[in-house]
Amino acid sequence: MKANNAPAVGRTPFQKWCDKYQGLFYLIPWIIGFVVFKAVPFGQSLYYSFTDMNFFNGISEYGLMNYIEAFTSDRITKSLITTFQYSFITVPLKLVFALFIAYILNFNIKFVNLFRTVYYIPSILGGSVAIAVLWRAVFRDDGLINTLIKMLTFGAFDGPSWLSDPDYALWVICLLRVWQFGSAMVLFLAALKGVPADLYEAATIDGAGKWRQFFSITVPMITPIIFYNLVTQICQAFQEFNGPYIITNGGPRNATTLIALLVYQYAFKQNEMGMASALAWIMFIIVCVLTIIAFTSQKKWVYYSDER
Amino acid sequence: MSNAISRRDFLKVTGAVGAAGLLAACGGGSSSSTAAANSAPASVAAPTGDAVELSISWWGGESRHEAYQKAIAAFSEANSNVTVNPTFAAWSGWEDTMSTKFAGGVAEDVCQVNWNWLYNYSGNGQTFIDLNSVSDYIDLSQWDETVLNTCVVADMLQAIPVSMTGRIFYWNMTTFNKAGITEVPKTLDDLMAAGAAFQSQLGDDYYPLHLGGYDRMIMMVFYLESVYGKDWADPATSTLNYTADEIAEGLDFIKSLVDNHVVMPLPTYYGNNGSTAAHQSNEWITGKIAGILEWDSSASKYQDALDDENKAGFTVGEEIKFGDYNGGFTKVSMGLAITQTCQHPAEAAMLVNYLLNDEEGAAIMGSECGIPASKAGLAAAEAAGAVDELVNEANSKVMAFCAFQLDPLFEHNNLKADGTGIYQEVFDTIDYDGVSGAEVVDVLLDGMESVGYTINA
Repeated sequence: MKANNAPAVGRTPFQKWCDKYQGLFYLIPWIIGFVVFKAVPFGQSLYYSFTDMNFFNGISEYGLMNYIEAFTSDRITKSLITTFQYSFITVPLKLVFALFIAYILNFNIKFVNLFRTVYYIPSILGGSVAIAVLWRAVFRDDGLINTLIKMLTFGAFDGPSWLSDPDYALWVICLLRVWQFGSAMVLFLAALKGVPADLYEAATIDGAGKWRQFFSITVPMITPIIFYNLVTQICQAFQEFNGPYIITNGGPRNATTLIALLVYQYAFKQNEMGMASALAWIMFIIVCVLTIIAFTSQKKWVYYSDER
Repeated sequence: MSNAISRRDFLKVTGAVGAAGLLAACGGGSSSSTAAANSAPASVAAPTGDAVELSISWWGGESRHEAYQKAIAAFSEANSNVTVNPTFAAWSGWEDTMSTKFAGGVAEDVCQVNWNWLYNYSGNGQTFIDLNSVSDYIDLSQWDETVLNTCVVADMLQAIPVSMTGRIFYWNMTTFNKAGITEVPKTLDDLMAAGAAFQSQLGDDYYPLHLGGYDRMIMMVFYLESVYGKDWADPATSTLNYTADEIAEGLDFIKSLVDNHVVMPLPTYYGNNGSTAAHQSNEWITGKIAGILEWDSSASKYQDALDDENKAGFTVGEEIKFGDYNGGFTKVSMGLAITQTCQHPAEAAMLVNYLLNDEEGAAIMGSECGIPASKAGLAAAEAAGAVDELVNEANSKVMAFCAFQLDPLFEHNNLKADGTGIYQEVFDTIDYDGVSGAEVVDVLLDGMESVGYTINA
């Protein structure tokens, strides 16, 4: 490693050694943080996942019992299924919605910067108590959504009980995350700006309509960003915690107990760190597999401009 | 006390922190239970007068936060070498936080603790010190021996009871009056009549009483104790004293309250509030649910939450006798404990003594943590006029009526936790699926057995 341009002549061996490894010294704070807060717990959790580790009782048994229980316990399998449902609803909806809004905001319309800011705001609100209060007010039995449903159907339908019906509660959590589409939207917007205008001009001359241009030019040209958003959204969806924790606490009847919330419950409510670690690793493996599938599939549908 | 950090301690803390941060790295040490089950309390080092920093934690509402902070400031003024750093929050999520701190050995020096925490987190005496070792600094003679004994776990006095408590009904008489009812319910018939009156006079949205999952369990135990005259479980061995048939009868009793419009169905409550606590729900604030069964120390929290129209109607009710016996249990409301990791136990004990026994400190604390169990503390609070009338009335009624004892497993987190607890699962099943007590009693018994109950049913 060449650290700087200082002349090596007349420098002591220690100074030369310092020059050589100077860059590493700058990295030490990050390395310490990474090792202490990421690498060590990461390895530890793998170890604990093969034990019956309890915060207060320690370890008395080693083996695969946590993994066996994870795939035989109704509570955990239900949570895994719910997490898949959540991800398969949220990720496509969010991507489509973010792309749709980005496409509109890519036109030269009045107050476009204001709209971009407004649409981005939900993303920075994250999962807070204020959002929980807002979401409950929107989705309560006599809340905004059901009032709208009642108005639009001229009183024929009251709307479902979003927060108490296990068949609908997951949608409340999904829609919260879909609503926070700002980050994906900004990336799509940047990608849309990068699509060469001459492609659209040529397509227009050839008689292609807007829809044809969108699906034949816009979408292929932004597939790298779609791919990036897809992978990051899958990772986020499988780690979703805030929404179910602050709005429904996993209820009703565990209908919104996603796997990350279940990890928390095992770890910090039941102190069963062994089981919590095993679930965390199962979650990690699932995300890895889905990411590998996405990366493998990109050869068939992602277009990079430097490729022939 | 050694300051050295062992490899296991290090792993324990990094594991806990990593788990909280990543949710994918759940760690902790394996040896906390072996730390220090003291056989005989050795006296601690005497205060030196050097500068000392202490930390203290508690949960509660605004008024309790203010009282603690005021008392701490007064303590530091009287002991100028001692600085006290507080940590406090509302109850929601507090136990999760504290249990993680206990496991990691990073809890505050002085902790306000729930009674069952002594069993759950310090069953071998690994988390809290034996307060007999600091008896030179805490006047233990101010408590009845029977009260102190409730906090003896693993042969160690692990906490000082702050107050004794039990559950009692609170009613919003503003709504009751609107329903044409002028007196608080005193019998089961009164309750049933109130349900019918609310529905006919005020509509389907109004209920005389709201009970969450854990509240329903307590109400069921009240009922069974009242009918059968025995503790829910043996307080010493946690052996269940009821048969499956008897418990099914208790579950059906709760179901009858729901069916007769006395208690709001849980799906109805969730539909409007999700997982929000009752006192923060719109239904309680506006009087649509007009009653609760709550701890005697919680009166002001529920009264303060009511809107202006309903606040004046907040009334302490009467305990209701459902059978031949006075049902209901009393327990230690909360205690103050000193952690094993505290480096200045003598000064910490002085702080505990100041908050609970001292004329000035106890007067500031008043009844914010319930009616003081300390004789000196109660006298000081009463002399200062700092005992809340509502809390006092509620506590007097509870102590005069409730005759049964609680076992420490009853409040186990796996049973009572919102969202995940067995109690909630059982009562959710009854309300959602309309099943009878006999159909869900096994779920309850299996859950109880899994946390350590002995079931002979």
